[in-house]
Amino acid sequence: MADTSPAPPPPPPQPANSGNTNQAHLNPLPTSVYTLPQTAQLEALYTIIRDKETSRGDFLFYSDRIIRLLVEEGLNHLPVVKRTVETPTGATYEGVGFEGKICGVSILRAGEAMEAGLREVCRSVRIGKILIQRDEETTLPKLFYSKFPQDIASRYVLLLDPMLATGGSAMKAVEVLMEHGVPEERIIFINLIASPEGLKTFCTKFPLLKVITGWIDEGLNEKAYIIPGLGDFGERRYCT
Amino acid sequence: MPDEFIYDLGETQDNVSRRGSSRDLSLQPKKNIVLVSHGRPPWYGEDGQRICDAFVIGVAGGSASGKTHVAREIVRNLGSIPTVIILSQDSFYKYHNEEELALAHANMLDFDHPDALDMPLFASCLSDLKACKQSNIPVYSFAEHQRLKETKYLYGATIIIAEGIMALVDPALRALYDLKVFVQCDSDLMLARRIKRDVKERGRDVHGILDQYLRYVKPSYDNFVRPTATHADIIVPGSNNAVAIDLICTHIRSQLQERTNRFRQKMAIPHLYLTTGSGSGASTPPESRLEDLDLTVLPDTPQLKGIFTILRSKETSRQDFIFFVDRLSTILVEFALQLLPYVPKVVVTPVGVEAHGKKLGAQMVCGVSILRSGGALERGFRRVINDVPIGSLLVQSDATSGEPMLLQTMLPVCVRLRNLAQDSWVFLLDAQIGTGAAAFMSIRILLDHGVREDHIVFVTFLVARGGGVSVLRRAFPGVKIVCGAVDEIMKEGWLEGYKGEGNPEGKGRKCWVMQPGMGQIGDRYYL
Repeated sequence: MADTSPAPPPPPPQPANSGNTNQAHLNPLPTSVYTLPQTAQLEALYTIIRDKETSRGDFLFYSDRIIRLLVEEGLNHLPVVKRTVETPTGATYEGVGFEGKICGVSILRAGEAMEAGLREVCRSVRIGKILIQRDEETTLPKLFYSKFPQDIASRYVLLLDPMLATGGSAMKAVEVLMEHGVPEERIIFINLIASPEGLKTFCTKFPLLKVITGWIDEGLNEKAYIIPGLGDFGERRYCT
Repeated sequence: MPDEFIYDLGETQDNVSRRGSSRDLSLQPKKNIVLVSHGRPPWYGEDGQRICDAFVIGVAGGSASGKTHVAREIVRNLGSIPTVIILSQDSFYKYHNEEELALAHANMLDFDHPDALDMPLFASCLSDLKACKQSNIPVYSFAEHQRLKETKYLYGATIIIAEGIMALVDPALRALYDLKVFVQCDSDLMLARRIKRDVKERGRDVHGILDQYLRYVKPSYDNFVRPTATHADIIVPGSNNAVAIDLICTHIRSQLQERTNRFRQKMAIPHLYLTTGSGSGASTPPESRLEDLDLTVLPDTPQLKGIFTILRSKETSRQDFIFFVDRLSTILVEFALQLLPYVPKVVVTPVGVEAHGKKLGAQMVCGVSILRSGGALERGFRRVINDVPIGSLLVQSDATSGEPMLLQTMLPVCVRLRNLAQDSWVFLLDAQIGTGAAAFMSIRILLDHGVREDHIVFVTFLVARGGGVSVLRRAFPGVKIVCGAVDEIMKEGWLEGYKGEGNPEGKGRKCWVMQPGMGQIGDRYYL
């Protein structure tokens, strides 16, 4: 996208150096929003994928690491049941078992980039797809295509889209899922970077839906790109 | 390391014929004498400090006097000693400038003078090895008459034999020897041997040999070598010396035995966990308040608990076990990485704005897995840190005593070289800390190499609170220990023995297992 824009957008009013807390750009956080622990290490991961000089190989590797962390965090919001097992040493262990079927739904195209990370954590998980495209002029989302597992209504859904900017396509995707019978509270939306505006709009519309986000950025520029963001995730990932 | 058993140094063809060693200096056949069960036993005490130095023997004598024969016979006689290094003075010839190089190629450079040797370097290498540190000794090529760029890495010997005509010349070197041997041989016998060997092995004519002998070898012997005999503890005859060698070996054995005895009482691993010794059963487990152990434990989330439930269950299939071990190790290593230092960094994003972030502040990061079960964390490690070296340490319990034995050391370059090791961060990987014996030994090895204690991050699935971790923590307070969960106790168990070398009857032994634990993680992951 850098090559299509004639001039770089004007710098934001203030630099993003106000500390790495979730609340820096959105306070208070909506109650349905969960972020990863804002460690220096996570910040270092984001710094690598934000850097426009980062090679595609590094972008893949480091974004995958963040995606894995996000999926792990997302799975923690699924229910578990008590389960007692016997260990090879003959002791008993009071543990838990995973409960409920899940599936992933990726919003094309960028959401697909998160599937590999999902499968590394949830082996052979079913993955549905939605194609929603943003109208470049109106920035309004349109549904072009969707394909889900048949029993999606009985599953927990991990909705995957790396960037939550205006929230338009994500909200459209949730509407489509609910039309297919998935209750709002059984959808977990996972993204890498969210804008405060988009997050607020999204959570106001779907207050029961849990949002797992890695980092909340400063805001949107006039072209609805997240600032400082990382550019177009799909483009950097697939290098088209 | 003990699988290499003996380092034979400076073994170029040229070197062999010129110096007076014989081709059979190569101690290749001795390798077969090494028992598989003979690893390196602990060399440190419960406080984590080294208990004794390596035993250093200096062997000097004229060219072709039979030094190498003596050194070799000592090694053969000692038989079951785990690691012996023979350090030849030939490795320490100085780096030559252009002028000296030209002289050397014209056979006009005096190699039989003490000044030809880099004595300070010789002494510092030997001193490091004696102090159980690693040493990267120079490699000298007799074909090029020059010290090469590469060095040879040495670590972990119990006995070091420094051998060479000038071995007793330098006072700094002499101060390092525990035993000084001078091989005394008549000049005419040495000359006869030299002529015979050089004619046979190098095809040189007698005239040339005599010329060199009279110009360099003989004056050097009379001026520098023979006078050092006064420093020797023992003068060994250059031929028919079986009795003398036998006496030397008896002395070495008694010295080593004495050190071992001193050492047993201060054993690093609580007596509780060893079958030998007096403490078994009677002594109380070491105190272990969780907060004293200073463990970095993964947050207890529903997913983590679910993963551990699967891993602990004996019903879990191998396929599931491997998948969830990989998943857990990924989470663990990701979690452990937060312990590294990070520094501010500003980048420009593709949107064209600056982003203030951070980057890793560590210069060098590497992994070292403690085999076998530490290998189970390697895939997770690679998923998180893709471009760093991973070394390994093979530490196994002795089949009969249960004592940890170091069988192999393969460390990354950033640990092997002391100047790099000081800045490196090392992730030590092992599946669990039970008795803590292998962990203890591995940390000691890294410290021996100069890695800073607070630069070691130990990553493991399980830690037994009532196990050896409290001893580990007391000895190495700076090491960071990251684990997935903490188990309560260690239970006494019986390990079926395998029939094999070092354990011919396949005797079983007492062992300690974690409760509830995950079973034998290595077996479940690999077999």
